[in-house]
Formats: sequence, structure tokens, C-alpha cells
Amino acid sequence: MSNTIFDWKKDRSMFPEPDKDGKPVVELDSQKYIKVWQGPNHPGVTGNMALELTISGDEVMEAKTHVGYLHRGFEKLFERRRYMQCFPTSIRMCVPEPDINEYNLSRGTELLSGIEVPEMAGWLRMIALEMARLQVLLRTVPGQGGTIGLGLPAQWGLYYRELILDRFEELTGGRIYHMYILPGGVRGLLPDGFKKRLEDNLVKIEAFMKEVDRVVYSNAVFKKRTKGIGVVPPEWIDQYGATGPVARAAGYKRDVRKDYPYLYYDRLDFDYNVEHESDVFARFHVRRKDVDTTIDLLRQIMAKMPEKGELRAETPNVLHWKIPRGETLVRCESSRGEYLFYMVADGSIYPRRINLRGPSYTHGVVLLEKLLVNANISDVSSIMVSLATCPPEIER
Amino acid sequence: MNEIIEHIKKRFPVYEIGEGPNGVILMSVEASRLVPMLTSLKTNHGYSILVILSTVDWLEDCKFQLTYIVNNPEEKRDLGIRVFIQREDAEMESIHTLWEHAATFQREIKEMFGINFPGSPGVDDQFLLEGWDNKPPMRRDFDTKKYAEETFFPRPGRETNDPAAYMKQKLYPDE
Amino acid sequence: MSLKDIFSPFTAWGKAFEKPVTIKDPIAERPGADRYRGFHKNDISTCIGCGTCETICENEAIDLVPVEGIETKDGDSGLRPRVDYGRCCWCALCVDVCTTGSLSLTNTYTWVEEDPEAYRFTPGVDEKPWDKEEKGWKKPEPGYEFYNLNRVTMEHLEPEERDDTFIEMVKGFSKEQAEKEADRCVECGICTATCPAHMGIPEYIKAIRNDDLEEGLRILYDTNPLPEICGRICTHKCETVCTLGHRGEALSIRWLKRYIADQNPSEKYKKILNSEFIEKNGKKVAIIGSGPSGLSTAHYLALMGYECTIFEKLSKAGGMMRFGIPEYRLPYDQIDKDISYIESLGVKIKYNTQVGVDITLDELGKKYDAVFAGTGLHMGRSTRIEGTDHKNVYQAIDLLRKITLGEEVPLTEHIVVIGGGNVAMDITRSLARLQKQKYGKVGIITTSLETEDKMPADREEVIETREEGAVVNPGWAPQYIEIENDKIKGLHVAQCYSLFDEEGKFNPQCNLDNLQFFEGNMVVESIGQGMDLSYLTEDLKHDLEIDRRGRIKVNEYFQSGIPWLFIGGDIIQGPDVIHGIANGHKAARGIDEFLFEEKKDTPKP
Ligand SMILES: Cc1cc2nc3c(=O)[nH]c(=O)nc-3n(C[C@H](O)[C@H](O)[C@H](O)COP(=O)(O)OP(=O)(O)OC[C@H]3O[C@@H](n4cnc5c(N)ncnc54)[C@H](O)[C@@H]3O)c2cc1C
Ligand code: SF4
Ligand code: SF4
Repeated sequence: MSNTIFDWKKDRSMFPEPDKDGKPVVELDSQKYIKVWQGPNHPGVTGNMALELTISGDEVMEAKTHVGYLHRGFEKLFERRRYMQCFPTSIRMCVPEPDINEYNLSRGTELLSGIEVPEMAGWLRMIALEMARLQVLLRTVPGQGGTIGLGLPAQWGLYYRELILDRFEELTGGRIYHMYILPGGVRGLLPDGFKKRLEDNLVKIEAFMKEVDRVVYSNAVFKKRTKGIGVVPPEWIDQYGATGPVARAAGYKRDVRKDYPYLYYDRLDFDYNVEHESDVFARFHVRRKDVDTTIDLLRQIMAKMPEKGELRAETPNVLHWKIPRGETLVRCESSRGEYLFYMVADGSIYPRRINLRGPSYTHGVVLLEKLLVNANISDVSSIMVSLATCPPEIER
Repeated sequence: MNEIIEHIKKRFPVYEIGEGPNGVILMSVEASRLVPMLTSLKTNHGYSILVILSTVDWLEDCKFQLTYIVNNPEEKRDLGIRVFIQREDAEMESIHTLWEHAATFQREIKEMFGINFPGSPGVDDQFLLEGWDNKPPMRRDFDTKKYAEETFFPRPGRETNDPAAYMKQKLYPDE
Repeated sequence: MSLKDIFSPFTAWGKAFEKPVTIKDPIAERPGADRYRGFHKNDISTCIGCGTCETICENEAIDLVPVEGIETKDGDSGLRPRVDYGRCCWCALCVDVCTTGSLSLTNTYTWVEEDPEAYRFTPGVDEKPWDKEEKGWKKPEPGYEFYNLNRVTMEHLEPEERDDTFIEMVKGFSKEQAEKEADRCVECGICTATCPAHMGIPEYIKAIRNDDLEEGLRILYDTNPLPEICGRICTHKCETVCTLGHRGEALSIRWLKRYIADQNPSEKYKKILNSEFIEKNGKKVAIIGSGPSGLSTAHYLALMGYECTIFEKLSKAGGMMRFGIPEYRLPYDQIDKDISYIESLGVKIKYNTQVGVDITLDELGKKYDAVFAGTGLHMGRSTRIEGTDHKNVYQAIDLLRKITLGEEVPLTEHIVVIGGGNVAMDITRSLARLQKQKYGKVGIITTSLETEDKMPADREEVIETREEGAVVNPGWAPQYIEIENDKIKGLHVAQCYSLFDEEGKFNPQCNLDNLQFFEGNMVVESIGQGMDLSYLTEDLKHDLEIDRRGRIKVNEYFQSGIPWLFIGGDIIQGPDVIHGIANGHKAARGIDEFLFEEKKDTPKP
């Protein structure tokens, strides 16, 4: 019964048929396949990114990631920007969670020029980073439901996200692009009464998460549609450099905040959120637990941070801040996993190279392309969202 | 840590070994010895993750620097290995056999810097730049500003003045 | 999966009974946060158009444009930033970097216009609805600066280390200090217009940052051939307009100049300045006086290939720089360094040759193709109060000259100095040093018409004078010098309450009920100097145009009514070295033009 429609799952090597070099050819004229473009404008795609899917029936045979719809060449633009001028540009490399860029760029600049930021600024950076994480998770956790048609909780989540954006607005002056962490420190102390307002928001968010639990987490349809779907074999994690919730859902204890502690994370008490099934549900579950961890961390930070302190270290004049030749690696844990900058300074006022390696670089390309093979087309968005791909961080 | 460095030093002709500001150990090696070295690091020393493959254009030295950063998740350590290659007809051995996703990095580098990685799957496929017909844009001799000025037109009505030059023109034009 | 998993999602219906959380449009009722980064606001009366905001803007969203009604003047370029919201990303770096603190962002959320051009405007000039809005992004305070507002402290000799010696008191910057100070510069270039010689200040400061001091020296010599001197005693008008001075301390421009000159050894000057071979053009120019104006003229003419000869009345070159300014402020070897470089260009100096006595101006006019006169102000003015004809009443300028020449300086244990300017401080401090050397203590009182706040002397001069033990007691008008048995007893003064009358004319008024007596056996007058133009014969004067106040009229190239005679320095403009240098530079260009271009064939008288 080879080559029948029931059989191909077992023997995919013959389907699509290989050419004489052994490379499978999807012979569109054979009428066995259709090519479907999911994206670049598609509600089931995160950001402006396209998936070129070759399907047979409703099974995906081959998937190809296409990025480049957003490419603005930030890494190129850095070449003619002073270190200080890079930071408002860098944030655009990840729209939903811009703060990690600010942090990495600032930290890298400080490392390369040997500057230590004041303690207060360090704690404030943690507040911003954790708020940013929470704000993203409020979209992606209920949003995972959205990918299978549970749109409502995703909508609700947006409101709770706005609450955090309100806090961002009063702390940083911006809602989406915060431009708060900058080389040398941060740009403002907590406004009066900020802690109280944030705490009120956290309480509301906790209550909301209970709702998400009821409507999404313990939802028969959701479980049915996410368990056993998009399974990342654990041995792929290192091989493809997968990080963050994807790695943790596969049973790995991986969290930059714990493995390579930065700022004052080593003074906070938290644990890895690990699951083992490594499917869409497990990744959702890890993120769901991350929400609680983040809320808890915000509380810890507010309790432990100093009351007063300096905002910014003394730095050379930002107009001609030259950095001696050197290279460094800065990483932090984003909501999606390890977020890493490789920075090279050449002794001038402009960086020689700032190279970003975000989790999506593999999650969104190799991993996604592999996971989609044999997936049902209706699960494509679900798998994609569970990997939290973010095209601007691939394109930069 | 020192152990492994000693070990590498014995087996591979590494030079410029130094610690970066974040505690990352960086070293340079001849291009031809890179793949054996990475293989040994990966298989024998637990450096199982390819964190980043990055390129730096040292235009003034006519060199490209390729930086391979590998990570040992058990020991939580990074090792950066630099390789310098000629800028002219730049080519480097592919490492997709060690890490499949290196192909993505290599494909991007081919497109952005014009460095070829023969044998790397899809290395000639466009990654970001559909229909690009200019120099590989991340090369330092590609001038973004000039390109933008030639390709697009500026918004009319933009003009600026340098304070010192303007003051001279106003206050002491012929001195 | 359990039954619960089937039922629990239905709890979502509960939401149907909750109050909606959305805000009704228009959202104006919800104002932006206090720090919100909305559209720009600029206090244009504070802004000086330095353009630092333009420099930092990573999106090139800012243009500096002239604004009607804002004049270009010292310390204000007359330009103001115009923002293009097609490019701005509201990062507010421009606000944080603004040197005067004039720029801010408002917390306006929304603004809709149909005309796209409306989104490019000059904040503060083009009226906007939020102009009165107080809230919005401002530079965070305190301790948040993009550059250092405080100077690197210049080390000085302590008062007790310096009060009996003429050793230079300012120590000069080390490399590290100079680079740190140079780092503060924002390169706006506002200072260049104010410098009388229009020196390339931001450029040479940049050379310090780049540690390229040879380039720095070249930039200095473009406009100023006396950098060692100016780097020490320049009146630094530039620093008064430095944009950093608006919120902090102005840059130490003068000390940075000194640093460049100090670090370059004189042996290398000719190589660095590329003046080893100069082609002569066969023309000769005579220069009267080796003060800054004369030296500057000679320097620039020599570079152009002229053969220059300086005629100097005294035995040493430098004019007031050597014979006026005391050594502790300007050591002689530094004067020598600058002057010997000028001499190395082939400039000859004829010492002890007074024009009008040893050689006439007419003769010079005949022997040379052109003449520049920069003879300065060397005759002390007297208050002419009763007793000033006594032999123990001296002119500051004469005493300073004696000190330089190493001649015997008259000295008593108690001295009274009249004058409130820098020259008065110079003589006070010089005499105080001599007193300390001779008597082991200082006994000197300096008084002036002007009250403390109006004294023309630099503030730090007054402070340092006091630190060295002299008494400065300003606000008194001298009445008469009391003399008993042909010996001076002291100076009688009355309180002076106003200097100028209603028309603004100098007319000091004093209160004769409030009198004081300053004891002293010697009085020094330091109330200004006059010029000695005796070398101008009646014939020559006939051809010159002289204004009511006795000043000779010259054109913009310092050319007098006699075409071959150029005049500059203190006798024309003054009052300081840098003006003399600028005059000389300009005159050199004028002479070049006069001799080579237009008036090539004009017969000489
Ligand atoms: C005590 C004192 C302190 C000062 N401090 C400062 C200061 O800190 N900073 C500053 O910028 N400025 C200072 N000044 C002012 C400054 O020195 C003068 O403005 C400047 O030197 C004027 O330059 P000049 O070329 O016009 O003439 P001068 O420097 O006065 O030089 C004129 C030269 O001409 C010579 N001369 C005159 N008549 C004849 C003749 N008939 N024949 C031949 N030679 C002749 C004189 O001997 C003299 O050498 C000070 C002045 C004084 C008196
Ligand atoms: S930086 Fe400030 S003072 Fe300077 S031009 Fe801009 S707004 Fe005006
Ligand atoms: S806010 Fe930022 S982008 Fe806008 S004008 Fe200022 S510096 Fe430029």
C-alpha cells in the first residue's frame, strides 16, 4: 500500500518524490499539492512574516519561512550612530518587548567602556524588564487561545496589558517604546505612588489569570488542540539553540536570569518553570507559570529595591563617547528566551558591529520549518505562536 | 576553564586569547583549523550550542572576522572563536554539518556580507533582500546614506544651518 | 481531561455582565502621564541655537533655521530648532542633551492636522495648542547629564606658596585633565564668533580629544600666532558665551589652548606648521612695536613671503605682554617661545630703536613697501589730585616695566594703589610679592571708584589679590594725597556713590560726609594708559583722519588715510592681546591686498 494517502506519514521520504539528486521535489503540476502563503498579512501570523506552505489535503508537506517584510537594517544603521544614538534605534528590533534591546545595548556599552551603573538604576532596570515581560505574556498567554479560535481571552488580555502600559507611561514617558534604559543608567525614578498602582494592577492581573485558567487552560477544546501538537524533541533544543519557554517546556532548566545572573536577579527568589511534554500545551503552560513568577518577581523587586539613589553613572560626553577596541557578549532573558547581543567596538564613537541573536532566529526559521512538516494546516498558527516568533528580531 | 584552554592550546594553533569584559573567553584560530576545533569542542567538551555566528567587516585591514560563539550549557560558559578571512572573494567552510541551523546564519551572511559557504544548504537563497542588486549591504563600503539619497528623494523644504558658519555669515562675513 | 474542562470555559459568560473597560472617544479626558513624551516645546528666549539637539538626533529630525525677530549676536546664533515629525521618534534625547534646558516635550496625546506640512514646525515660534502645557518630558534631575557640567579643576599654587615669588601660579592641565575637559565640549561653535580672532575653538578642542596635538597646533596658528601667551592670559571672551555656561560651568577654553601649545616642543614647530620653506616675494614691510598686533602682522606677512622688520623701542620684544603682564601670570620663557618661532620665519627685530627718535616714520615709508604701527598705550594716566606731583607717586605701568627690566623698584612698607581694573591688581600683586620678599609682610591697600560689584577687574583676580595678603577696598573716590615734610602720609578718599550721570557720562559723585584715610608712604596710580603718537609728524597727521576722541580712523583692514600706513592694536581698538592679534592678522591681509592687487602702482608719498 505504498504511496497511498494513508501511508505517506510513515514513509515521507517518497512523498514528495526525490529528484535524481535525492532532493524531494514538490511537483505542483502533479496536482497533489497546493502552495499556500500564510502571511505576511495574516491574523494567524505573528508580525509581518510569511510562511510558504506546501500542503496536501490539510497536511503541511513543506514549510518555508520568509522574512524581510520589515527589514530596516538596524544593525547597519548602528554603524553611523553614536552609542547613545543607538539605543532609540535598537528598541525597534523587538516591538512587543523593546526593553530587552535597551538593556542589552546599554549593558554592552557599559561593559565595553568599563562603567558600572548605580545600584538604584539596576533595580529600576529590573522593574522595566519584568514589566515588559509581564506585558508580553499578557498577550501571548491568552493569545495562545486565540490561535485556535478562542479569541475572547486574547481580547481581555489586551486590557490588562494596557494597565501595565499605563505604568510604563508614567515611569518612562512612553507606552510601547519606552526608551528608558540607556547607556549609563535609566531615565527616571519611580513616580510617587507608583508601587501602589503597580501592586493594584498585579492584583487585577492575578484575578484575570484565574479567568484565563478557567477559559483557556482548563478547556477541553484547547487541550485537545494543543496537547501532542508541535512536539519539539528534547534533543533538538541544543542542536538548534532553542531557548526560553521552548527549552523549558522540553524539560530543560534554562533561564538566563538564573544561569547567567545579571542585574540583581541573584538576589531574588524564583525557580525555573519546567514542563516535559514539549508540545504547544506545555509551552503554554510554562508561559502561564512565567506570569506568576514575573508577578512575584515584581513584588520582590519593589520590596527589595532601595528607596533613593542615582539614576545614571557619570559617562563621557555622549556626543563623543569613544569606546576602546573590544568585544563582548550580553544576554538577558526575554519572554521568548535568551536574547543576546554580540558587540564589537573599534575605538571610535560608533560601534563597529552590534549583532543581535534573538530566540526567533532559530525558533522562527529552522525549528518552525521542521515542526510544521506533517502538521495540520489548522495548527500552523498555534505552533507558530507557541514558539513566539518575532520577525523583526530575525531581520534586524 | 583553564584546563580546556590549555587543552585547546595544545591541539590547535590558537592566538590572541583573551577574556572579554563579560568573562567570555575569546581566541583566534586559522580558518583551516576551525571546523576540527569546533567539532572537538562540541563532541568532547560539551560545547553543544552554537549561540551565534557573527561577522565583522574590518574594511581597513581587508579582512572579515567571523566570530563563532559556542556555549556549554552544563558549565554555563561561552567560548568565542574568531577567524579572520580575506575580504576579497571571501569564503569559509560551512559548519551546518555540526549545527543545522548554522545554515541560517550562513545564508544571512552570504546575503549581507557576500561571504560564501560552499555546501551550506540554501546558502544562495535570498533571506531578507528580495530583488537586491547592489553590494552586500552589511559591508562597510556600502554607504547606506548615499544609497538612500540616490534612491529616494528627500522631503522638500528641509534645510539646516551650522551655527558657527551661520554666525560667521551674519556677523563677520569677510574675515 | 475531565468534565470540569468542558464546563469551566462557560464561565466566560460572566464577563457579559461586567462594566466595559474601554474609554469613550475623545480620549482627551485622560491626559498623558506627567512624563509623557509628546510634541516638542521650546523656550526660544532661553534657547541659543547651539544645535546640540540637532547633533544628537539619531533620526535627523531637527533642522536649525533662522527665526524672524531673533537676532544673531554674541552667544546666540539666531537659529532655532525645527522638528520634522515625519522623522522624529519621540526619544527625547534632544531634550536630555539641550545645553540651555530650553527644550522639552509636552504630554499632549493627540494632534490631528490635514496638512502634512503642519507636522514640521519650529517649537516655540509656531504657535501650538500645547504651548502653555506644563507637563511632559523634561530632562530628569538630578545627577543625570549627558556631559559634565563642571570644569576640571585647574591646579594653582596655594597663596602661601606663591605670595613671595613670580613663579607661574597656574599649573596647567595634565593629559588626562585636558582630555577630560575637552570631552565636555559639545562642538556647537557659538564661541567662535565671539573670539575676536575667530579661532577654530571646537576644532582644536577636538584635536585634544583625538590626542592629535600637532593638528591642534596647526589650528591654533591659523588664527593666532601667540598660543602660549593667549593660552595663559587671554581675556577669554569665548568662555563667556560657552553654551555649557547656561546650566553649568563654561569650558576652560583658555587652558586647553595652553595645553596644546605647552605639549608641542618649539623645535618641532616649523615641521608641524609646515613653515620650513617659505618663498620670498621680494616685498618689505616695516612694523613698529613688537606687541601682539605687530607680532601677528609680522607672522602672517612672513608666511606670505614678505620680509618683515620690527622696530622696537625697548630692549625686549612683546610689548605689554612682557612689560605689563606680571611674570607669575605669563612667564617670560613662554613669551620667548612664541616670539622665537615668529623670528624663525625670518622676521627681524631691531631693538632699542624708537621710531620718531632713532628713525623717522617717513624714512620707513620710503624704505619699505608698507608700514604697520602697533605702538600700544604706554603712558600712565594720572588722577591729577593734589599731591600727585610728588616723587613717590608712580604710574603702575612704569613700575611693571621696571620689574620686567630687572631695575630697582621703589618700595615702602605701606603702599596705596588707586585703580580697580586688572592692571591695578597686577601692580598690587607684584608689589605685594616684592614687599613680602623685602619686609616679610604685605602692606598694600588698593582702592577704586567702583564698588565691589562693579569693579572692572576679573573676579578671580580680586579674590587672588586678597588671598595674597593685599587689601582691596573699593568704592572710594581719591581726594588728595597727604604730604608732611615732603613725605607721603597717605591717601584721603570719600565714598563714591555714583559713577555716571543721567546722560551716561563719566561723572563720579561722592559723599563728603563719609571719608576715609588710607595710610601709605607711596602711591601708585593705575587708572588707564594713553598713547604716544609723537612719531607722527604734522605732515603725516595732515593726511590722517582723526576722530573727536583722538583716535586715528582706519578702514576695515586697518589701513589709515595714508595708504602705506596700517595701524592696529591698542591704539585703534584694544583692549587686549587677542584683539591685537586679530587686528594684526587682518592688517596683514590688507597689506597683502594693497601691495599685490588693487593699488599695485599707487606712487608712494
Ligand atoms: C598690566 C597689564 C596687564 C594686562 N593683562 C592682559 C591680560 O591678562 N590679557 C590680555 O589679553 N591683555 C592684557 N593687557 C592688555 C594687552 O597687553 C594689550 O592690549 C596688548 O599688549 C596691546 O598690544 P599692542 O600690540 O597694541 O601694543 P603693545 O603690547 O602695547 O606693544 C607696543 C610695542 O610698541 C613699542 N613701541 C611704542 N612706541 C614705539 C616707537 N615709537 N617705536 C618703536 N617701538 C615703539 C612698545 O615698546 C611696545 O613694545 C594688559 C595690559 C597691561 C598694561
Ligand atoms: S540644544 Fe537646546 S539651546 Fe541648543 S539649539 Fe537645541 S533647543 Fe536650543
Ligand atoms: S525626540 Fe528624538 S527623534 Fe525626535 S527630534 Fe528629539 S532627538 Fe530627534
